[in-house]
Amino acid sequence: MPRTTTVECPGCPPLRALTFDALGLIKVIEARTKEGGVPKVVERWGDPDAAKCVLAASLDDRKTDPLLAVARKSGVIEVLNPLNGELSVTVSNVSNGNARPEDDAIVGLHLFRRQILESTSRSCTFLTCTTKGNATLRSVEMTDSPSDSNASKTWNVCGAGNISFSQVDGNESYAVFGGKGVEVNMWDLDKCTKIWTAKPPPKNSLGIFTPTWFTSATFLCKDDHRKVVAGTNSHQVRLYDVSAQRRPVISFDFRETPIKAVTEDLDGHTIYIGSGSGDLASVDIRTGKLLGCFLGKCSGSIRSIARHPELPVIASCGLDSYLRIWDIATRQLLSSVFLKQHLTKVVFDTNYSEDVKYYEADVAPHEEQSIGEVQTADETEKPRTKRKKSSKEDRGSKKKSSKEKDRTKKLKSKKRSKSLENETADDE
Amino acid sequence: MGGKRKKSENEGAGEDDSSNKSASKKMKTKKSEILPSSIKNKEKRSAVHSKLKHQKKVEKRKKLKVRDAAEKRAVELGEEPLPRQIPRTIENTREADETVCMPDDEELFAGNDVDEFSSIIKRDRTPKILITTSRFNSTRGPAFISELLSVIPNAQYYKRGTYDLKKIVEYANNKDFTSIIVVHTNRREPDALLFVCLPDGPTAHFKLSSLVLRKDIKNHGNPTSHEPELVLNNFTTRLGHRIGRLFQSIFPQEPNFRGRRVVTFHNQRDFIFFRHHRYIFDAKEIKQSEAKGKKAKDAKGESIAKEKVVARLQECGPRFTLKLISLQHGTFDTKGGEYEWVHKAHYSHYSSSSPFLNVSLKWTPAEEDFSCNLIHGFICFTPGMQRFSAEEGQYWQ
Repeated sequence: MPRTTTVECPGCPPLRALTFDALGLIKVIEARTKEGGVPKVVERWGDPDAAKCVLAASLDDRKTDPLLAVARKSGVIEVLNPLNGELSVTVSNVSNGNARPEDDAIVGLHLFRRQILESTSRSCTFLTCTTKGNATLRSVEMTDSPSDSNASKTWNVCGAGNISFSQVDGNESYAVFGGKGVEVNMWDLDKCTKIWTAKPPPKNSLGIFTPTWFTSATFLCKDDHRKVVAGTNSHQVRLYDVSAQRRPVISFDFRETPIKAVTEDLDGHTIYIGSGSGDLASVDIRTGKLLGCFLGKCSGSIRSIARHPELPVIASCGLDSYLRIWDIATRQLLSSVFLKQHLTKVVFDTNYSEDVKYYEADVAPHEEQSIGEVQTADETEKPRTKRKKSSKEDRGSKKKSSKEKDRTKKLKSKKRSKSLENETADDE
Repeated sequence: MGGKRKKSENEGAGEDDSSNKSASKKMKTKKSEILPSSIKNKEKRSAVHSKLKHQKKVEKRKKLKVRDAAEKRAVELGEEPLPRQIPRTIENTREADETVCMPDDEELFAGNDVDEFSSIIKRDRTPKILITTSRFNSTRGPAFISELLSVIPNAQYYKRGTYDLKKIVEYANNKDFTSIIVVHTNRREPDALLFVCLPDGPTAHFKLSSLVLRKDIKNHGNPTSHEPELVLNNFTTRLGHRIGRLFQSIFPQEPNFRGRRVVTFHNQRDFIFFRHHRYIFDAKEIKQSEAKGKKAKDAKGESIAKEKVVARLQECGPRFTLKLISLQHGTFDTKGGEYEWVHKAHYSHYSSSSPFLNVSLKWTPAEEDFSCNLIHGFICFTPGMQRFSAEEGQYWQ
């Protein structure tokens, strides 16, 4: 029998997200507590045009004067105001006019939060990378007149092959690149020098070598540039430690379709991976164990995953034209929005709940959620004690005493877990 | 069982007649409550069951009679009759779907203008189809392919040989083919169809079932070489719309209405039924009895037979059912392919029969307009009808 009632989605906490799609539209999705946390499209910027297809986007969501950079298929980079969609600067990436923008599409874009090149305060700096490996670091004056005095640095990050991603670390001094036929390599952005390249894993026991094809990567930790997680087209996820070795520290398979998106969590050891057939899962990268899959109606390739910097929420989007918002702890679908186009990227706007006054009521659920987060953190440690409890009871020792023991055990285990965490933190 | 109990109770009731009667009365009421399924004797059970069924039927008839009488009376009195109850069906209790295409959606049209099929649908390219098979192919496979060749104009069959499908895609791209159809055969029976749109996708993989070839259809017709009209029914959701456009891009965009040949893709709960017909508008005498009923004696006076035009269908075959398994972004690539949609039946809170391609079968006027605008079939089919009606009088009455 077909389903005749709607599956109830719990609704999500107040948030604001921006999605970018294949027709070059930017859609603003907001969820408000007043409307039961049902996210809705509140604004749409731009007109549908296939040449304007958004290839990469980056958001600098500082509290004052936030900026949004969008790279289009036509080789144009636009800097917008993420609050009202006003276009401030347009820069063409087609330098020297040799290659057509279609041949050398932009694959990566990062908008810097700090100033890198020598420039005035009213300017923004961004890093772009094209398929052929032309990485460009440029800063643009935010003046009304189109200025020619753009400071820019261009270098090539690969000799052969196609770059498919570029990623900049939390302190914005290093960047990784990789792609089809290009091993993951790390560059120092201040000096524009390559500091590290990965080495392909050896042939397997049958002498078969899987060709290199990286599809996505992310830095594992905000403060640490040394650990990089990369996903490959041959459905493998690899953890590289720059300080340790050139071959992957951990590598594991996930399902049978290429990994299309990798995103890190704030805790520094959980990552979220999305595959070409719409599977989304969270993995503890310390052990390489799957924590769980995000089950839902998701059936199209996942192109982008975003972690909300404050709420325990992630958003995923991709070819099935849905923006889905998931709870991290329960891995439950909170809500989904149908956005009609193939989506390429999603970003969260963190400052959303602050800039609106009448959402004071929202503060309470925020706190609850943060408490919830703490609890879930505790829950992750619980299974150990539970197991012990059951084993104790199996042995048939007196219940009271066992309970007391359990309490002590719990405390101990908590302590142990804390110490474990400390250790892991030290490791990292 | 009932019988047995009756006996035992009769014995236990004693000699008093009145008490016996009351007991039997009680028994009657009890008997009606006994479910036939609790009776062990088969004959008895079926008898009780048929009796119950008959009772229900009679009751229902009575109810209808009462309702009809009430309605009639209300009409006579000039009152508004009670509204009839609408039965709850699978279709009208279905969950609403937000992905259903709407005629006022400008994004949809903008998306259509730039999608992979637009160059064919805008008649910039003429469809040219390459049909090939899986590696092994025998019995019904070749027969099916020869019939497909007769259905799809401008299609060519190429032997598969030992080529990789990716190589075939490359070859077909060089030869300016617009799509590839691969008929996959398993156990000497075609069981899957793969549509690859060229040059850059998408790739749709269908399960093929209940295939009936032309020679197995009773009173089948033989199709002419005219370009067929296309009817696409119920491709209403966004995914369905895309699949509909995929089918549309396989057939020539300007059908030859003189051929009176029509190919139908009818979607019902995600199963796509393929049919191929010839139609004809026949002049038929109106039966005397009908005329009698309508006009009584006057009709008798004019004994000249009146002619009525009837559309008749003749099936040409083949006949088969498709079910979408996956829709892949780009051309065929199983290992590194990105899917736009994959059927995932194992998800628990996701009913396997909740549809993806179409949702509402209710035909609202808005939707009808929309289908005229969007679904190619109605562009082809309705003008055809109109043309015929203009030439040869009115048919649809």
